[in-house]
Amino acid sequence: MANLARFTNKALRTAYSITKHHAQPQLASSERAFATEAAKSITPSPDRVNWDYRGQRKIIPLGQWLPKIAVDAYVAPNVVLAGQVHVWDGASVWPGCVLRGDLNKISIGFCSNVQERCVLHAAWSSPTGLPAETSIERYVTIGAYSLLRSCTIEPEVIIGQHSILMEGSIVETHSILEAGSVVPPGRIIPSGELWAGNPAKFVRTLTHEETLEIPKLAVAINDLSKDHYHEFLPYSTIYLEVEKFKKSLGISV
Amino acid sequence: MGTLGRAFYTVGFWIRETGQAIDRLGSRLQGNYFFQEQLSRHRPLMNVYDKVPYVHKDAFIAPSASITGDVQIGHASSIWYGCVLRGDVNNITIGSSTNIQDNSLVHVAKSNLSGRVLPTIIGDNVTVGHSAVLQGCTVEDEAFIGMGATLLDGVHVEKHAMVAAGALVRQNTRIPCGEVWGGNPARFLRKLTEDEMTFFSQSALNYSNLAQAHAAENAKKLDETEFVKVLGKKFVRPDEVDSVLNAVGDTPPEITPPDNAALDKAPKAS
Repeated sequence: MANLARFTNKALRTAYSITKHHAQPQLASSERAFATEAAKSITPSPDRVNWDYRGQRKIIPLGQWLPKIAVDAYVAPNVVLAGQVHVWDGASVWPGCVLRGDLNKISIGFCSNVQERCVLHAAWSSPTGLPAETSIERYVTIGAYSLLRSCTIEPEVIIGQHSILMEGSIVETHSILEAGSVVPPGRIIPSGELWAGNPAKFVRTLTHEETLEIPKLAVAINDLSKDHYHEFLPYSTIYLEVEKFKKSLGISV
Repeated sequence: MGTLGRAFYTVGFWIRETGQAIDRLGSRLQGNYFFQEQLSRHRPLMNVYDKVPYVHKDAFIAPSASITGDVQIGHASSIWYGCVLRGDVNNITIGSSTNIQDNSLVHVAKSNLSGRVLPTIIGDNVTVGHSAVLQGCTVEDEAFIGMGATLLDGVHVEKHAMVAAGALVRQNTRIPCGEVWGGNPARFLRKLTEDEMTFFSQSALNYSNLAQAHAAENAKKLDETEFVKVLGKKFVRPDEVDSVLNAVGDTPPEITPPDNAALDKAPKAS
């Protein structure tokens, strides 16, 4: 495996050195002088590989913090979980998400789902003084492309797509946030209401029927995630490809 | 006991061979829907013919980031998970100690309606929040782009300016020094206080430190990661814990870290 890295390294280094003198960028005008200073001081590392066959690891432990995924939770292979992240039972984290619990805790509750391309982060401290962890309780649906930072989402909530929840915001139970809403820091979205907009404003209260639909959506997505989950074998069979690769490169297996 | 060990070893081998044979059988049964895993072909750094990324050795590039084309990244900068920096039609310059947070997109334009084509220039100590989209814009030193912001062509964010989260900054807008702009379309919200302006460079520094912890972890070879898994949480390299805790430069002194080993090294940051 070290041989492989060294081989790809060497091939890339020779290719890189050939093209390096072509790559000096042309930085012209004086108004961008500050950028030119930076350009001169860049020393690239000879060890940096352009390609690593391992790709990006899903679980990145930091120090003693190891992200924990429940056995029946679906976490797409595309996702990055770093630091203190707990994904509890029945939850699903869809492709492209980044859950970065490096400064504080992130937890995804039972049967919740974090849809595609979300970024969940937790700041070190919250302006409200409350614990700044990002905690998502049970039966929460977080729509695609949302950004959540140090917020608390109480049980049975729907967060629309592309919404932005800033530090210290709390979304109380049985509420719905429309797509594209931006919740300012420290805002509390009261229980049973529909909010929308940038910045998020009250729209109307939810009817009882709508409130009942919220956990149903979470359960429906949980069912869908089971289908996706079952497409993956418990262990990867990538070792077969690595063996083939080594064989074709003539590296003794 | 040598023979017993050998016996276990051999039986283990038989079981693994059987397992592999059954795996092949199962693949045959799956027929057309059989999925064969491929090696990850993702390239964090990719060149488009002669446009090669030029990255400083201190910079942290997440393995899932995609840096393509004519991109320059300065000292102590960090490009976090899932970012896409596409310098294929023009160039992107990122200064030192800048952080481009997760899932952001930095793009350049080849042509736009007004005919003026601009490279994307991001200065030193800039914090670009999660999922921001920057296209053909200039961001000067120590600015702060909030998460989810979208900056279109020709936007010029001056030093110590802030773009609020979720803002959509229309083409050719100039955001003056010391102001917060936000909303869709972006308009002036308020002026920044002195504290907030100093916070920007502090935040950039915090992120550089945090990036070092992530860089160390991502650079580990397979043996090290497996080793840590096997020993579980009982075995922790003390320098790793410190590096993560020290990364948080703005820790109030009253909060004691989980293990006191970090206390004597606490004032290392900033």
